[in-house]
Amino acid sequence: MTLKIVTEGSNPTTIKLDGRLDTHTAPDLDKALDGVLARPGLSRLVFDLSRLEYLSSAGIRCFVRARKAIEPKGGKVAIVNPQPGVRKVLEIVKAIPGGIFASIEELDAYLDEMQRKVRDPD
Amino acid sequence: MDSTATPPRRLRSFRTVRARLLFWIIAVTIPIYAAALYMSYDATARTLETGAERDVDELAARLATRVDAVIRPIEGGIRTVAYQLEEVDPPPEQYAQRIRGILLAWPDVYGSTIAVEVGNGANARPFAPYYYRHGADLAFSDLAVDSYGYRQLAWYRRAADSGLPVWSLPYFDTGGGNAWMVTYSVPFYRKLADARRAMAGVVTADLDLNWVKTTSANASLGPIGMGWLSSPSVGEPFVVPIGATAERIGKFDASMNRDAIRKIGEEMLAKKVTFRLLPRGTTAKRAYLAARNLETLGWQVMLVIPKAELLAEARELLTRQLLLGAIGLILLIAATSAVSAGIARPIRALAAAVGKAREDELDLELPETPRRDEIGVLTEALRRMGSSLREHIRLRAQSLAEQARLEHDLKIAASIQQSMLPMRAAAADMPASIQIAAALLPAKQVGGDLYDYFFIPDGGVDAGGRRDGKVFLAIGDVSDKGIPAALFMARLSALLRVMGAGGEPPDRLLAAINARLSEGNDACMFVTIGCALLDVATGRIRYASAGHEPPLVRDAKGAVRSLAAENGPAIGIEAVADYQLWEGSMAPGDALVLFTDGVTEAEAQDGSLFGLDRLIELLREAPDGHPAALVKQVVDTIGAHASGFHATDDLTVLAVRWNPHGVDLGTDVTHWHIQPEASDAGVRQTQQWLHGVLAAREVVPDRIADAELIAEELLTNIVKAARIESRRVGLSVDCVLMPAEIVLTVRDDGPGFDPLAHPSPNLDADIADRPIGGLGIPLVKQIASDLSYARVDGWNVLEIRLGRSPDSN
Repeated sequence: MTLKIVTEGSNPTTIKLDGRLDTHTAPDLDKALDGVLARPGLSRLVFDLSRLEYLSSAGIRCFVRARKAIEPKGGKVAIVNPQPGVRKVLEIVKAIPGGIFASIEELDAYLDEMQRKVRDPD
Repeated sequence: MDSTATPPRRLRSFRTVRARLLFWIIAVTIPIYAAALYMSYDATARTLETGAERDVDELAARLATRVDAVIRPIEGGIRTVAYQLEEVDPPPEQYAQRIRGILLAWPDVYGSTIAVEVGNGANARPFAPYYYRHGADLAFSDLAVDSYGYRQLAWYRRAADSGLPVWSLPYFDTGGGNAWMVTYSVPFYRKLADARRAMAGVVTADLDLNWVKTTSANASLGPIGMGWLSSPSVGEPFVVPIGATAERIGKFDASMNRDAIRKIGEEMLAKKVTFRLLPRGTTAKRAYLAARNLETLGWQVMLVIPKAELLAEARELLTRQLLLGAIGLILLIAATSAVSAGIARPIRALAAAVGKAREDELDLELPETPRRDEIGVLTEALRRMGSSLREHIRLRAQSLAEQARLEHDLKIAASIQQSMLPMRAAAADMPASIQIAAALLPAKQVGGDLYDYFFIPDGGVDAGGRRDGKVFLAIGDVSDKGIPAALFMARLSALLRVMGAGGEPPDRLLAAINARLSEGNDACMFVTIGCALLDVATGRIRYASAGHEPPLVRDAKGAVRSLAAENGPAIGIEAVADYQLWEGSMAPGDALVLFTDGVTEAEAQDGSLFGLDRLIELLREAPDGHPAALVKQVVDTIGAHASGFHATDDLTVLAVRWNPHGVDLGTDVTHWHIQPEASDAGVRQTQQWLHGVLAAREVVPDRIADAELIAEELLTNIVKAARIESRRVGLSVDCVLMPAEIVLTVRDDGPGFDPLAHPSPNLDADIADRPIGGLGIPLVKQIASDLSYARVDGWNVLEIRLGRSPDSN
C-alpha cells in the first residue's frame, strides 16, 4: 500500500514509481512533483511506470497536473512501460494521448524525431 | 495366614486321584469278571446238560435191553411155531398141543391161538382154538364162533394183509386177564403143489405187560429226574413210571400234567429233538425234558429233569467263584487305595507348601525326604521354581522402582514441554480480528509434535485504534516419538520463537532454521514444519512448508480447500535447502487449519486410516467455523473411541480465522458486507478487504484491481464531499461473488446524488482546457459492465457489476 518515488535526471527528468498510486499515495507524488515542476527549463518529464501495480484517478490527476504545467510551454510529458492494467486506466480517461511508450528506447526514438522536427520544420 | 495367600483348594472326594483310580478299576474289572463268571457258569451248565443226556441215553439203552430180553425170545418162538406150521403143516387137531407148548415155554405169554384162513383149498370153515392162563391151569376158548368173526379183527388182518409179523399196540384186556396186553401176530402159509404159497392162518401170542412195570420200576433213574416208559397209542396209552419216579414227583410237582409233557415229548421226537427245556408253565419249576425212542415196540422213554437239581452243581460253583471274586475285588480296592493315597499325600503336602507361599515370602517349605519317583522330581522342580521366582520378584521390584522414577521424570518433561506451547495469554494477545485455537495430544507422555503462534506487531495502528501486524503460525512433527523427539522439538521451538519474531518470510525462516538444525545433526532427526504469516490488515497469507502436509482453508459456509503450496525438504536432512513461498489471501470468515499426520493417520480398528478426505468431511460438517469449535471437532472425533478411530501418533491441530472488524458475512457464503469509516483509512481498508476476498476466491488480479479502483473512486468522492460539507456520512460496501460477475453495491446516506446523471468532462479537450479532476466517475463507467443508481430510504445506492473473467468487458 505504498509508493516509492525515485526522481532521476534533469531534462528529461524521469520519475520512477514503484507500488500503488491511488488516493492515499497521490499526495506523495504531488509533493514530489512540486519540486520537479519548479525546476527551470524542464521541458521533458518521463514517468517510468514499469513497477506501478495500481493506478486510480487520484494518480491520473498528478499526470494531468504535470501535463498542464509543462505542455503549454511546449514541453512533453511521457509515460513509459505501464503494466496492462495501468495502461487500461490511462487510456480510458485519455490521460496522456500519444504519450504512452512501451519502452525507454521507443520514447527516445520519439523524442529524437521530435527534436529533428523542431530543427527542420517540414 | 495372610489374606493374599490362597488356601489349598478343597477337592471334592470324587475328584481325587484315589476316587478316580477306584472308579475306573471297578468299572473295568466288574464287567470282565461278570463275563468270566457267566461263561464259566454257562460252560458248567452245558457240561451238566450233556451229562444228563448221556445218562438218559444209558437209561434208554438199559430199558431197551431189558424189554428186548423178554420180547425177542417170544418173537423168535412164535415165528418158529409159524415156520413149523408152514413146513410141517400138521392137521388142526395138533394145533392145541402147539398152543399149549407156547404157553408152557413162555410164562409171560398170557394166551395164544392159531387161527386158520378159510378157503385156499385147505380149510372149509373157521378154526381158532385159544388157550389162556387161568390161575395155575390153562383154559380153552373157541374164537371161531360167528359172533367173534376173528378174520375181521385187527390182530388177524394186519398180519394176514402185510404177510409179516406185527405187534399190536398195548391194550387193556378187560375180558380175560384184566391186564395190559400186547399181541404178536405172525402169519403162516401153506406150500401149494405149484410151489406157490397160500395164506394159511395167523399164530398169536398175547403178552401180559405186568413184567414191564416191574422192569421199569426196577430200572435206576440215577440221582435226579422222573421218567416214564410209554407206548404209542390210539386211545389210552400204556405208561409206566421208571425207577423212583413216583416218590420224586411228590417232591417236585405232584400236579404235573404228564399227558401234556408226553405230547411235548412226542412232538420233540417227531422233530428229532431229544433234549430241551420245558416251556414255562408246563411244570411248577423249570425242568428239562429228555425223550428217546426204543426200537422195540416203538416205545418211548421220557425223562423230566428239574433244572434246579441238574444245575445245582453249577450254582454251587458260581457261588464259590462269586465269593472268591468279591474277596479279590476287596483286596484290589484296598491295594489301590493304599497306592493312590501314597501318591496323593505327598502331592497334597506339596500343594499346601506352595499355597502358603506369598509374594513377599517365597520360602517354600518343601519336604526334605529324597524320593526317587515322580513326586521327588516334582519336589525338586518346585524348589528350583521357588528360587527362580524369588530372583524374578527381586528384579521386578527393582525395575518397578526404576520405572516409577522414569515416569516421574517424564511427567516433569511433559509439563515442561507443555509450557513451550503458546499459553492462553498468547491467544488473548492476538488482535480482535484473529481467532486462534490449537490442541496437541501426545501419544506418549512427551511428544514430537509442536505448534506455535504469536503476534508480530508492526507498530501501526489503524483508524479504529486496532493494531496492525502479522500473526506467525507454525506446526511441526518430529520424526520419532518420546524423549529424543521431545528434545529436538524443544530446540526447534526455541529457534522458531527467536528467529520467527522478526517477521521473516516463512521460506527464508525455514531455510535459516534448517541451516541451524541440520548442523551436527548426528542423530539424523528431522522435522516437517508448516509455517505461515498472516497479515492482520489484509488477510494475506505467506506460507512455506518443509515436508509438511498442506493446510486446509475452510470458508464460513464449510467449503474446504487444500492450500496448494510447494513442499520443500524436511528440516534437518539437507545442509542447505530452499523453500518456496506460497502467497495467497484469506477472505474474512475463512479459517486456516494446520495439522500433523497424527490426524490423518489415526487408525480405525480394522487398520484403515482416518485420511485427508475424512478430515475435510469433518471440517465441512462442523457446525461452527470458529477455530475452537473446529479443533474440538477434530480432537473429539479422533480422541474419542466411540468414533472408531484412535490416534497412534502425536496429534496436533492448529486453526486460525480472520474476521476483520467492519466486515460481516452476508446471508450467503459469497457475500461480504463491509462498513468502513468515512475516512481515507476506511477507503484503504475497504480496498484491502476487497482485495482479500477476491484474491481468496481466485479472482484474476486485473479484476481485483478493477474492483479496488471502483471502490476507491466512489468512496473517495463520497468521503471528500462529506468533508467539504463538514457532515458525517454513513457508508457501506457489499461484495457479492456471482459465478460470472462481481457485484459491488455502494451505499451512503448523504444528500441525493446520482453520479451517472452528471456529464463526463470532455476528455478530448486540449490539455490547457481540461480540468485536473473529475476523472473518477468516467473511469468507473468505463470499467464496470453495468451501473445503476437508486435513492432508497434516504440512501444513495449505486450497484456496479463487473465481469469476473479477464476479458469479459
